[in-house]
Amino acid sequence: MRSATAVAWAGGIVAAAVTLLLPLWLSPANLTVYTLAGLYAVTAIGLSLLMGYAGQASLGQAVFFAIGAYTVAAASLHGVPTALALVAAPLLAAAVAALVGIPILRLRGHYLAFATLAFQLIVLSVISNTAFLGGGIGFAAIPSLGVNGAVLTSARGFAWLSWAVTAVAMVLALNLIRSRPGRALRALATSEAAAESAGIAVVRYKLAVFALSAGFAGFAGGIYAFFIGYLSPDSFPVELSIEFVVMAVIFGLGSVWGALLGAAGISVLVQVLNQVGTAPGMPEYMPTLLNYAAYGVTLVLIMVFLPGGLLPALRSLWARVAGRRGDPGGPVGPGQGAGGPSAVALGTALASALRLSPAKDAGEPTPEHARRQ
Amino acid sequence: MSALVDYLISGLAIGCGYALLASGFVAIFRVTEVINFAQGTLAVLGGFVASSALTSAGLPHGLAEALGVLAAGGAGLLFGWIAIGRKGTPPLASLVITLGLAVAAYAAEIAIWGDQPISYTALPGDFVLAGAHLLRQYLLVIGASLVALLGLGVFFTRTYAGKGMTACASNKFAARVVGINVRRVGLYAFGLGGLLGGLAGVLLIPIEPLSFNSDIGLAVSGFAAAIFGGLRSFEMALVGGVVLGVAEALIAGYWQASYQTVVALGLMLLLMIWQARGRMELA
Repeated sequence: MRSATAVAWAGGIVAAAVTLLLPLWLSPANLTVYTLAGLYAVTAIGLSLLMGYAGQASLGQAVFFAIGAYTVAAASLHGVPTALALVAAPLLAAAVAALVGIPILRLRGHYLAFATLAFQLIVLSVISNTAFLGGGIGFAAIPSLGVNGAVLTSARGFAWLSWAVTAVAMVLALNLIRSRPGRALRALATSEAAAESAGIAVVRYKLAVFALSAGFAGFAGGIYAFFIGYLSPDSFPVELSIEFVVMAVIFGLGSVWGALLGAAGISVLVQVLNQVGTAPGMPEYMPTLLNYAAYGVTLVLIMVFLPGGLLPALRSLWARVAGRRGDPGGPVGPGQGAGGPSAVALGTALASALRLSPAKDAGEPTPEHARRQ
Repeated sequence: MSALVDYLISGLAIGCGYALLASGFVAIFRVTEVINFAQGTLAVLGGFVASSALTSAGLPHGLAEALGVLAAGGAGLLFGWIAIGRKGTPPLASLVITLGLAVAAYAAEIAIWGDQPISYTALPGDFVLAGAHLLRQYLLVIGASLVALLGLGVFFTRTYAGKGMTACASNKFAARVVGINVRRVGLYAFGLGGLLGGLAGVLLIPIEPLSFNSDIGLAVSGFAAAIFGGLRSFEMALVGGVVLGVAEALIAGYWQASYQTVVALGLMLLLMIWQARGRMELA
């Protein structure tokens, strides 16, 4: 296992170096995609904690992204120091989530999914009708993030900021899932009744992880507002929430690395398709069409054929290849769960138990599904 | 007075459309325990196909709408086959699959019909009731919805297939014991949900033009109506749809149109939370 850990560390360092160096040679358009991918990754990581670990579905995560963005826009346009506005963004998003979560998190499964979706629609409608929040037109000319007179204006600066925040979000999430609260969340996702009887404060934990995921989304949304510079209710449609779900799900729900890869992978895919769609001779609606096709078809294919996500499928493939070569150092079978301090390493994190969002009212699980859990 | 009649009748018509969508949710959920997020998509597809049949193929009214409803039924079957066709797909995964299908359908709809709203006139003209000028289409929607829901009642109580579906809904294990293929019945339920969604689409599209992404609003309204009966009762889904439709019309008429979604969705949230509280006390 030691050599695998070393390989994983090396891989992690290479990945970090590439992440740092990429902005130096990316074209302006690709740099924008790169920056947004980082912000989406932060949101997807939070959503992964909520959906994958705590087992609570949210189809309205973009609302917290929007709350963060609107906090930054409204505050900094009203003369609040921009850094302070950015600090307020995740706090307000988390506070709203905590407040709304008290009644909403009583709901389960499908009901919670629709409730979060409804909450997003309600908030968007309220924003559209509130002059103080720019109404249906929104805000423009949002000042950029500045600390002590130094203002962040370069696209590269935003790219680094975005991915630095992503790294912090990763560290927070990875530490959380290995901690006592992380195990409690996993327990309550499996069975709330069992978790409750084991002394886990189910309601409080659910609320806390909901607020945390909202805080992640709010912070990402805050940076988004500085980066893009304008926003309106139309910037945060339900489709955005669905995109976050796709990012959190395709590589494997219940893995924060999966959420990171999902955000990065989908962003690259969409950008490639966007270039195809804007090629000369293509109809005007082509980019939109390809965008929807990318999200929809990817989600359906993954959920139907690899409901555990891409990562576990790749992992078992790797295990089979390594097993054939008789390599004792490679990751072992898919039954192995995450654990031990070395779990920070990429290899072990990949081996973290991946499972589908639990459906408590799901009836009897089939053997295949039970094995995956 | 005439304004009130206007709001009531138009709300009733829209509410009947919601009730059809809600019945689609109920039909699918009772058997499969899957919430078909693409229920709104089926309505949009039905409306679009009917519109193409009218304008491009030049089919007469009635035939075009029937084609739209059947196409939606076929799409429902296809969605069901994808969402629950593989053994062991848990219901929440099926929900995510239908979500993906709804988004994928956007691409297909844009490719075929473009991204602009589509509408057609089915029953032109208006009539006067208590001083209010009302679209005759409202009467068509209300009449057709009630006939469809009555037919649904007959289907479930008088036909073998309908009784089989009810059997699957009440006890899957027992249904399997007496030789019912529960998964196939689930597929039929998706087809039925597609027909109901398609009917809602072809009836509503003359009143309110639909575009490819109208599905979310339709799905949320239908779901809100469906939860009146805890997603299991068709009668309560009708009540829910009518309450929702009339409430929206009254809010839009007497207060402000932009608040109608907020109030409708808020009502749905409160109802869900209230129902969940009941479940918790039981547990």
